[in-house]
Amino acid sequence: MGSRIGVGAGLAAVTMMSLLSAAVAEQMPCIGNSSATTGPAAFGGQAIKMGAEIAVEEINEKGGVLGKKLNFVQYDDAGAPPRGVDNTRRIALADKCIAMLGGYHSTVAVAQAEPVNEIGIPYVGVLAANTKAIENGRNPNFMFRVSAKDKWVARYLVDQALKVSKSGKVAFFYENTGWGNGAIVDVKDAMAKKGKELAAAETFNWGDQDMSPQVIRARDAGADVALLWALDREGNQILRSMDKVGWKPTIIGAWGIAGNLGELAGPLANGVEVIQTYTFMGSMDAKKQALWDKVKAKYGLKDPAEIKMGSGVANAYDAVHIIAKAIEKAQSYDWEKVRQALYTVNYDGLVAEYKPAFEASDPERQDAILPKYYKLTVWVDGKLLPIEQTAYGKTN
Amino acid sequence: MTTTIQYMLSGLAIGGIYALVALGFHIMWSAAKAVNFAHGDTLMLGAVVAVIGVDQGVPLPLACLLGIAAGGIFGILLERFAVRPFVGAATSVGWMLTTLAVGVMTEALATLQFGGFSRPLPSPGVTGAVHILGAGVYPQELFIPVFAVVVVVGLKLLQRHTLVGRAMQAVAHNKQAAALMGINVNRITALSFGLASLFGAAAGILVAPVIQVSASMGAILGLKGFAVAIIGGITSAPGVVIAGFAFGVMEKFVEGYVSTAAREIVGFSVMVLVLLAFPQGLFGKREVLKV
Repeated sequence: MGSRIGVGAGLAAVTMMSLLSAAVAEQMPCIGNSSATTGPAAFGGQAIKMGAEIAVEEINEKGGVLGKKLNFVQYDDAGAPPRGVDNTRRIALADKCIAMLGGYHSTVAVAQAEPVNEIGIPYVGVLAANTKAIENGRNPNFMFRVSAKDKWVARYLVDQALKVSKSGKVAFFYENTGWGNGAIVDVKDAMAKKGKELAAAETFNWGDQDMSPQVIRARDAGADVALLWALDREGNQILRSMDKVGWKPTIIGAWGIAGNLGELAGPLANGVEVIQTYTFMGSMDAKKQALWDKVKAKYGLKDPAEIKMGSGVANAYDAVHIIAKAIEKAQSYDWEKVRQALYTVNYDGLVAEYKPAFEASDPERQDAILPKYYKLTVWVDGKLLPIEQTAYGKTN
Repeated sequence: MTTTIQYMLSGLAIGGIYALVALGFHIMWSAAKAVNFAHGDTLMLGAVVAVIGVDQGVPLPLACLLGIAAGGIFGILLERFAVRPFVGAATSVGWMLTTLAVGVMTEALATLQFGGFSRPLPSPGVTGAVHILGAGVYPQELFIPVFAVVVVVGLKLLQRHTLVGRAMQAVAHNKQAAALMGINVNRITALSFGLASLFGAAAGILVAPVIQVSASMGAILGLKGFAVAIIGGITSAPGVVIAGFAFGVMEKFVEGYVSTAAREIVGFSVMVLVLLAFPQGLFGKREVLKV
């Protein structure tokens, strides 16, 4: 009896292995994406779709990858980690894509790290910035990113904050989510590297309507710069609470407040600085103008301000081109070969000059966009403009 | 001292919002012995319709009226198709589930139509803060608790001095007896749901300039409003308003002197403790069921 079970289990295992190897052996020329295309962060999925589709069109106009047309498939995860994990399996095992792009939510990206490395499909995050999603300690690591990284964003913001602070006291407001709770560690670490501590670290929940207790504590701690790790709605409530208690610090935020803070907060948003990797606002160089012309024609937009997450468009665009170049270098659709090739791609992209895109010897360099390419933008009368093109840039 | 006043004012503003939501639950419970768990979404619906109206170029006052009307129609339809078929059943599970389901559907539909972003609803009440003994507050925020008190007084007058109000009380007291007296029970129940939803949508429009309009704005307000209604005693209009104010102020003091993270823990612990000590809520009447 025991031997029969053993033989049965052995056969099942052999069948599973052959099925799995069959799945692995037959990758198709497609790039998948799991992102929120419905729900409050649907604009993130839309931005990724725009950038990826335009890049795929450009690649296909030049003959595709290894002689075949490249496809882009997008699935909705609505910001829910279990759906992101399901979509990862679907993209890898059912669609058999060569690689996949990440989405907007850090909680989803962190949950995807396990199945991505388990299956062994190259994943390139293009928005979610959580440090641990990509720096996950796995070797080999199939998680890559062409986007901002919270650890580097934190250092960038702290540098900016200490540059403009007169008292040297910085307050930090962060949302009580995976994104915010991941960032507090990075910001404290960045402050410690400068030999300082945060004057106040205040948290809040999504949907909170009033932040006056947090703002009062930060004000009374003597801070003159406030770093924000918030989305537009809560960022607006923080600004209004600051207005109510009569506190006017310099405000610098991660890109969660790059959506419609200017519309929500009106004049209170003027001068609020936001870090991004890319913006379509302000004057355009030839490269940006060419991409904007394509976005405008394909998606029927009239004004660059209609793009709510320009960084997502540009990051996804660059990521798809980097993946296509890796496929050409690998001369194969094979996941492992493409992963290896990603470390050898050099590409002059929209956001950065990737030389190379990733570095195998440095776990921190699974991230392609270095902090020197981060851009500071500022809200002026409802528009988020490159800071150097505004009066605020001259005072910085 | 200024900080204490700030917490009081901010707490009253938030508490006023909870009180308005809780009043909607009170009106429905008083007539139907059932509530619409999608009531938070009625607030959202009113505010969303108003913003869409403004987007389409409709003048602000007219857009607000459209939002309130949409809320009223929503309440009447919901009572007819999601509550009335289940109210006579042995358990309350039917209308609880159907109203919850309608709430989820409404939010999903609003997200599809309205998009993911929060949107502002313009109002002169939030253009600049006024200062009272050093504490800052927007005039719109001050108006919210005042409006809640006015609604309570209006409700009392309606119940005592109008035929409809008396009919609502009669239906609440004993449906069969009310029907025997010639009162159209179904119509009165539908009216109470419609009235609650009208106030709900108006409340949504009133709080929108303060908390911004989004498809998800009603969920947490509905939950906290219901908690406040239970704490105050859902049968007592002044009770739910007092509980709303107290709950809002308590939240601000917990946030200020303990931590933001402790707010929900303390708030809902208080709700459980109040229910253990006062099963009918702080101001509710014990309801005697005669078998």
